[in-house]
Amino acid sequence: MADEEEDRRLMALVADGDDDALRLLVHRHHGRLVGYLRSEVGSQATAEELAMEVFIRLHRAAGRWRPDAKLSTYLIHIARNLVLNEWRRRSRKPTSALESAPEPGDSAPESGRRVLELEEAFARAVAQLPEEQRTAILLLVQQEMPYEEIATAMGCPVSSVKTWIHRARCRLKELMSDFYGPET
Amino acid sequence: MERRPAEHFDRDLSAALVRGRSVSVPGLADRTVSAVRADRLRRTVIRWGSGLSAAAACLVAVLVLGDPSEESLIVEARSVVAAEESAQFQELLSLADDLALLKPVIERPALVDDLAGGGS
Repeated sequence: MADEEEDRRLMALVADGDDDALRLLVHRHHGRLVGYLRSEVGSQATAEELAMEVFIRLHRAAGRWRPDAKLSTYLIHIARNLVLNEWRRRSRKPTSALESAPEPGDSAPESGRRVLELEEAFARAVAQLPEEQRTAILLLVQQEMPYEEIATAMGCPVSSVKTWIHRARCRLKELMSDFYGPET
Repeated sequence: MERRPAEHFDRDLSAALVRGRSVSVPGLADRTVSAVRADRLRRTVIRWGSGLSAAAACLVAVLVLGDPSEESLIVEARSVVAAEESAQFQELLSLADDLALLKPVIERPALVDDLAGGGS
């Protein structure tokens, strides 16, 4: 709650043209924003570019912003719209979400290599999901957002979010079936 | 690769995704503030540009609408011509008036003279 109040205070300052307040806001929120964007677009450079664009748009809207939702949710909402625009521009989906994932080296211990291999496989599988399912599962599992906030960020009912997440889990289990034994 | 128990699926998914949850980018805040300043300047220039364009359009409109229209020019030209024509007519008419003062010179026919002489 204190975080939200601080966000509101900073947003009011940003609306008055305070660049230091904007710098603070970027410090507070850019990490998770870039993490989410990188998982969506599969590129660190594009994720950083989009994150900057998110904050530029936030700055433009600062005067009109009303704290109906958490600022982090609003940022994800802007980010998702930019991701959709980016895909429309490229007319293709991200080829891989693994650009920055470390390669399993020979010197890594066997257990470490297995973990990395599994993580890479998960990232590939998530990248293959349909857009709504991928966004919903990323926001739930990676960003640990509650269903209501995901619905707000995605501009849809909570029931749709639950459906997408259920389908995403089922699809991921299919895609990862080589790694897991049968369910008991 | 040895298969993992299916019960580990959710835990593994969470572990795989949470690893990329937050990515700190040094200098992003400064870059963002620079980009915001550039954006602010660009929008200011655009706002001024559109304001000046609107003012120029208003000026042109005032000049165009303030000028006499084609029709009014025609009317004015006609009135000038009419005034000119009326002056010429006036001259002509005044000349006619002058002429009217002159008595007509009519030669009396010889028959009239004979009759007048015979009668006297």
